[in-house]
Amino acid sequence: MAVATQGASSGINGQNTRTLLRVSILFLIAAAAVASRLFSVIRFESIIHEFDPWFNFRATKYLVANGFYKFWDWFDDRTWHPLGRVTGGTLYPGLMVTSGVIYHALRALTVPVDIRNICVLLAPAFSGLTAYAAYLLTNEMTTSSSAGLLAAAFMGITPGYISRSVAGSYDNEAIAIFLLVFTFYLWIKALKLGSMLWGALCALFYGYMVASWGGYAFITCILPLHAFVLIGMGRFSNRLYVSYTTWYALGTLASMQIPFVGFLPVKTSEHMPALGIFGFVQLVGFLQYVRSSMSAKQFKTFVITVIVGAVGIGLAGLVGLTSLGYIAPWSGRFYSLWDTGYAKIHIPIIASVSEHQPTAWPAFFFDLNMLIWLFPAGVYLCFQDLRDEHVFVVVYALFGSYFAGVMVRLMLTLTPIVCVAAAMAASQILDTYLSAKKPNVEEVADAGSTDAKPVKTSGLRVASKPAVGIFTFVSKALVVGGMAVYLLLFVSHCTWVTSNAYSSPSVVLASRMPDGSQHIIDDYREAYQWLRQNTKEDAKIMSWWDYGYQIGGMADRPTLVDNNTWNNTHIATVGKAMSSSEEVSYPIMRQHEVDYVLVVFGGLLGYSGDDINKFLWMVRIAEGIWPEEVKERNFFTSRGEYRVDAEATDTMKNSLMYKMSYYNYHSLFPAGQTVDRVRGSRLPDQGPVLNTIEEAYTTENWIIRIYKVKDLDNVGRDLFSAASFDRGQKKKSSKKKGPRVLRVD
Amino acid sequence: MRSFLGVVTFLFAAVASAVSTKGNRLLVLLDDVAEKDGYAKFLGDLTARGYQIVYDTPRSEQLSLFELGERQYDHLLFLPTKVKGLGPKLTPNILIDFVNAEGNILVAQSSTHSASTSIGNFLAELDITLPAGRTGLVVDHFNYDTISASEKHDVLVLDAPEPVRDSVKSFFSPSADAVLALPNTVGHTLGAGHLLTPILRAPSTAYSYNPKEQFDAVDADDLFAAGKQLSLVSVFQARNSARVTVLGSAEMIQDSWIEAKVSRPQGSKVTVANREFAKALTGWTFQELGVLRVNEVEHHLTGNNETNPGIYRVKTDVTYGISISEYAWDSWKPYNLPENDAIQLEFSMLSPFHRLDLSPVSVTRDATVFGTSFTLPDQHGIFNFRVNYKRPFLSVVDEKHTVSVRHIAHDEWPRSFVISGAWPWISGIGATVTGFLAFCAVWVYSKPTPKAGKAKKTQ
Repeated sequence: MAVATQGASSGINGQNTRTLLRVSILFLIAAAAVASRLFSVIRFESIIHEFDPWFNFRATKYLVANGFYKFWDWFDDRTWHPLGRVTGGTLYPGLMVTSGVIYHALRALTVPVDIRNICVLLAPAFSGLTAYAAYLLTNEMTTSSSAGLLAAAFMGITPGYISRSVAGSYDNEAIAIFLLVFTFYLWIKALKLGSMLWGALCALFYGYMVASWGGYAFITCILPLHAFVLIGMGRFSNRLYVSYTTWYALGTLASMQIPFVGFLPVKTSEHMPALGIFGFVQLVGFLQYVRSSMSAKQFKTFVITVIVGAVGIGLAGLVGLTSLGYIAPWSGRFYSLWDTGYAKIHIPIIASVSEHQPTAWPAFFFDLNMLIWLFPAGVYLCFQDLRDEHVFVVVYALFGSYFAGVMVRLMLTLTPIVCVAAAMAASQILDTYLSAKKPNVEEVADAGSTDAKPVKTSGLRVASKPAVGIFTFVSKALVVGGMAVYLLLFVSHCTWVTSNAYSSPSVVLASRMPDGSQHIIDDYREAYQWLRQNTKEDAKIMSWWDYGYQIGGMADRPTLVDNNTWNNTHIATVGKAMSSSEEVSYPIMRQHEVDYVLVVFGGLLGYSGDDINKFLWMVRIAEGIWPEEVKERNFFTSRGEYRVDAEATDTMKNSLMYKMSYYNYHSLFPAGQTVDRVRGSRLPDQGPVLNTIEEAYTTENWIIRIYKVKDLDNVGRDLFSAASFDRGQKKKSSKKKGPRVLRVD
Repeated sequence: MRSFLGVVTFLFAAVASAVSTKGNRLLVLLDDVAEKDGYAKFLGDLTARGYQIVYDTPRSEQLSLFELGERQYDHLLFLPTKVKGLGPKLTPNILIDFVNAEGNILVAQSSTHSASTSIGNFLAELDITLPAGRTGLVVDHFNYDTISASEKHDVLVLDAPEPVRDSVKSFFSPSADAVLALPNTVGHTLGAGHLLTPILRAPSTAYSYNPKEQFDAVDADDLFAAGKQLSLVSVFQARNSARVTVLGSAEMIQDSWIEAKVSRPQGSKVTVANREFAKALTGWTFQELGVLRVNEVEHHLTGNNETNPGIYRVKTDVTYGISISEYAWDSWKPYNLPENDAIQLEFSMLSPFHRLDLSPVSVTRDATVFGTSFTLPDQHGIFNFRVNYKRPFLSVVDEKHTVSVRHIAHDEWPRSFVISGAWPWISGIGATVTGFLAFCAVWVYSKPTPKAGKAKKTQ
């Protein structure tokens, strides 16, 4: 933008040059945004990351193979066995449809491209668009030409956004953030112009957003809030009325076309603010009309009556309908936004997800770096010139900050406004100190004496002070140089964070060999490939829900539970099977027709994300449904410790999860030296004994262990005596004390 | 050599009058191969039915039930042996493996020989208990043969067995008034498992004692079993339909007894039906009798020709049919249900949503088709059509066919104009559209009245 500002003084060609420069800068920013997200592809391979993306990938493949209508009515019989999942009606189809459209468009252009590569590269591609949307949004906020470009650059590389949009991170957020920012841009545009067209466009993109991500509720709440604040500030206008009603009416209709959303916009509390403000806007509009044809005194009483009446009826209706069950009360996930401890007590399944935890403060600096301190400055600048769109920034900033504070994943929704506000602040500094022009002394004196337009020239009061000293080359070079250093540091920080924290596929683990070379730990794919090649096509795999999507995507086998945690009871059933003894687990597994059980065990390698560390969540979730049969307390020693070694409680040692994790583990070590490297504890030499399941496969580093569930004994014994018979132990002589057991035929 | 043997086997099988469904390789184990002459009639009957009999002793070097993991024989017949253990080739584990590999075993016992430990432990795994010390003798002071055992009362004379319930098929009764003679019988007791079925239970007056230790009196606490609890002939059928039969009296199939004449106290002299009983017993054990075969399972939407689709929709009508044949001695015949019995179909997900009796729909030359029609439940999920038909003396039928039941697709609901409740809303839409169009028309075609003052200004 240094070039861009210089361009201002270069004659007739200035306009064209500036446009050309701007376009090329935006292209470079988009290129940088894409390039910085390719670390994982270069370092590993073109692979889908983590957990949820595997489901999205699988759904996309289904869409591409079967067409849109089949996808819309998709009943997935390979997940949630034996319940199945009405997948077509319980997902946000935006992401898959976008990929499908791109795929078919490229096919139509005779570009032979693999659907996997589209999925892998979709998020980086959309990050380029997000940068552009941030540019547009910022341009609506300020007249400074450089602010938009800075915002685009920030948006392109800030880690807070990169965290969910690296190549391979094929998740809803990949396109949703672009839609979020673009919808906000269209809203501001519609509000500024009072245009029905822009309002309709805003509704259109809002509909796309609803189709893409559950986070659309953020827009649904922020826009009405903005409108409400504006009305509260006495800024009701026909522009607001037109844009809001257009957006609400069309947007709500659009959102109701998504089967997963359906009638939620009129039935749940999350959507009530939008509906309420819609009514409120009508009311205010009506009052405005009435005021023009009434005397002031009459009007006052009229207003009071109408407002009190309307608010009273509205509230009473809301409360009444909620208590009657027509309007669903806030969902649990929503409560946990207000009380961070709520989920841990009431809905362990939500609390068990790490990205639902409250944010640690260093995370803000980690994800946003210098933007986090430029951000308040930007918001302050908005107060300087408080137009309607600036109110939006203020409202968004407040709520975004709060939500980002209570839930890690909502850092994502805060990032765009941070980029916008920080860009405004940064451009303010640069614009002030970079201008080559030196004011002559009289002008300065004039400006100083009349104080005519301090706000117009610059927002910061410091900059508006007509001290001549500030125009010296030294002070300019100092400030600009400092700013440049910060920007460079920001770029290097972003690159470092992206490279080190956000570019691991988590399906493939990387470690360093002693000589510094990279060593790939590929146990996950090894196990999934084994399942794919060695088990029947309809062999049901039981595992903790974290791995459900991956098993479905990579091993192509039916699973009992997966990351779409729609059925808490079913998950609790799996939790109970894992945390109970074999006698209890076996009937559960038989009933659910489980063929194989998969556990993740990090003890050998020191991989801490394993199932024993997640085990307490399984216990808690199972306890939520069967408090009599599964008790968390029994997994702790009398001194309240969670142990896996010789002093572990009997409940712990008899649980299926413990047995499966440590089965045969002692055989790897010399006697007395069996050690679990994650928990750092020494294990007993006598390993657990399995009766109802048998080991089927263990990967190279023992990260994944697969067990086969035995069939019922052929000659009718229970599996415990059958197993002990196989081990060569004779049946105990049936000489029993007490009365004879007679057979009745 | 192999192929030659194969041809011979084939020719032999062709001339034989009957053959088992599980093959005809029969291994007979006895103390001394020469002892087989005592069972000439019995073994001759088996040979005549097409069995290839190999005789061996438990201690034999080349004896092996498995070769490279494959079963070497289809059937095993244990005749009483004097050896205490049967050696490393016939451990209980190997015998269990043999049963798991669908091999059939007939164990004949005699009170003159203690059963070997291997047999005892093997039977114990099946929940069949032999008397203490694996030695016992059943006596009955009311049903004995007055000709041969007027003093010792150790030759039981019993009526041919009747099925325990009338819903159980009767395989083992040669004729209504047939009589069996069981000399030197070892009794056993059965556990409560449903895989076990007694064929011949001792009369209520019989009891078992150990002739070596309890020769003068039996203490009530030491009594092994008495009356109906004491089984003389029992069968066990594993989940894979492999069959194990315990015959308490090996003497009853010896030549000397197989067609002997016996007489009960105050009874007349009759010829025993041991030979017919032995035929039925070996026929059943070696799977010539009571073998059910599922030929095919067919399910389809009622009125639709596509068979066995993988996915249905909720609340549709489905027809299910299962074709079952029964093997009797030499041929497959249509299976006829006994009185008071029914084949049931479960349509289940976690638990049955339907449990329906199947009725015979059609009978072909060798099969009966049982079928029914029903409406699928209003619940989507992964369901099983399951026929789980397990009856005494009949091989296991457990057919599970998995289908998905999907929800109603978006275009399968009735259209809004079909639903009368929707008519007010549809007419509302119509009214709004008409009103809007009418308003537009009026708006477009009505010329605004020029306001005097304003019109001048614009000009």
